[in-house]
Amino acid sequence: MCILFYFLRQSKRLKFNIMNKLEEIIEQFSDADFQETLELLLDYSEDLPAIPEKFSGELNKEANRVPECETPVYVWVDINNNIVDIYADVAPESPTVKGLVSILVTAFNGVSPEEVESAPQDLLTRLGLAQKLGTRRMFGLGAVYHRIKNEVKNKAILQ
Amino acid sequence: MAEYSNPDVLVSTDWVAEHLDDPNIVIVESNEDILLYDTGHIPNAVKVDWQNELQDQLVRDYVNKDDFERLMSEKGISNDHTVVFYGDRSNWWACYAFWTFKVLGHEKCLIMNGGRQKWVDEERTLTKEVAERDTTDYKVPGLNESIRAFRDDVLDHLGSNNPLIDVRSPKEFSGELTHMEAYPQEGCLRGGHVPTAKNVPWARAANEDGTFKSADELEAIYKSEVGLKEGDDVVAYCRIGERSSHTWFVLTYLLGFQNVRNYDGSWTEWGNLVRAPIEKP
Repeated sequence: MCILFYFLRQSKRLKFNIMNKLEEIIEQFSDADFQETLELLLDYSEDLPAIPEKFSGELNKEANRVPECETPVYVWVDINNNIVDIYADVAPESPTVKGLVSILVTAFNGVSPEEVESAPQDLLTRLGLAQKLGTRRMFGLGAVYHRIKNEVKNKAILQ
Repeated sequence: MAEYSNPDVLVSTDWVAEHLDDPNIVIVESNEDILLYDTGHIPNAVKVDWQNELQDQLVRDYVNKDDFERLMSEKGISNDHTVVFYGDRSNWWACYAFWTFKVLGHEKCLIMNGGRQKWVDEERTLTKEVAERDTTDYKVPGLNESIRAFRDDVLDHLGSNNPLIDVRSPKEFSGELTHMEAYPQEGCLRGGHVPTAKNVPWARAANEDGTFKSADELEAIYKSEVGLKEGDDVVAYCRIGERSSHTWFVLTYLLGFQNVRNYDGSWTEWGNLVRAPIEKP
């Protein structure tokens, strides 16, 4: 019983963590007008960390490509001690996609796979991106979001 | 060696570099990615977004006369300005904006050959600074819908044996895919192509560096191989009308065809239209 309570408490705490991170990002975007939204996304895209050396050899491997997105997006998921670490490489010609990937990396890195799974399905709507960027751009971005979540889930299952 | 029919409609990156401060010129960047301009653009260039600024936000259509006048005035573009378009993806979106500006009646439009890619590859100056421009009092002189085809025009076209050019990829043309490879954004309920259409993927008109192919190469494709003649009544379409505006530009300005229309409803309309005839191998 004690163990069960421990896990319940842990999972509540964990959920609180990721929601905190996401809420913070959502708040940034909800306060932003159209131009500020673009600037925020641009800041995020510029802040996406470079791929670490250990992955650079496999940079163009199709296995790490997100196939649903028109832009070449490569994602690596590492899970150590139940902590997620995501690295991504996105073409500089696609800063919008790069910005979203950077938001996800910011939100998901350092949390558990379960927390990543608990992230809301409608995150992009909550960020207000569809209204500001145009609905036609949302399908590709949505695909990137769900692919990254799935990658984390699949990696966690394999462990 | 053949010349383009209207060589003056294309300008080089060198030419643009020499005209950055020319008061008669407005350089317009039009990209698929709404943020790309903000990462750095040609000095003094103005951004125009195809989705948020050129399209109506409610009905599937372009902005109306009043909205276009407001947009142009805000961007500091006057009726007398020569607009030089450039953009990403081999100038797809530049051609799309060029075509839309023409539909909405703007007279002087040019394309920078090679687009953004060539400018970047040549390591030319990019800036994040957005130049302040004085607003204007733009007036649409009149719409030019003769370069735009609607679905009923395409239906009429079928019965008259006039050429129809499908500029999508071979897999989209055959119906194997209902969207461009790796572009699942716009769904269609049916795959295939408009009966009688010939498949000439748009990219055949572009070189690796984003520039247009030479007049000789273009003639070999569109005239010798496809059999188009300059006086033909041609309709080009793709998925949402952006790739076909590239082909529209090539046929109209580089090969001198007089009657080319872009069907902007394209496959996202036709492939969802009840009882529209479809051909599939």
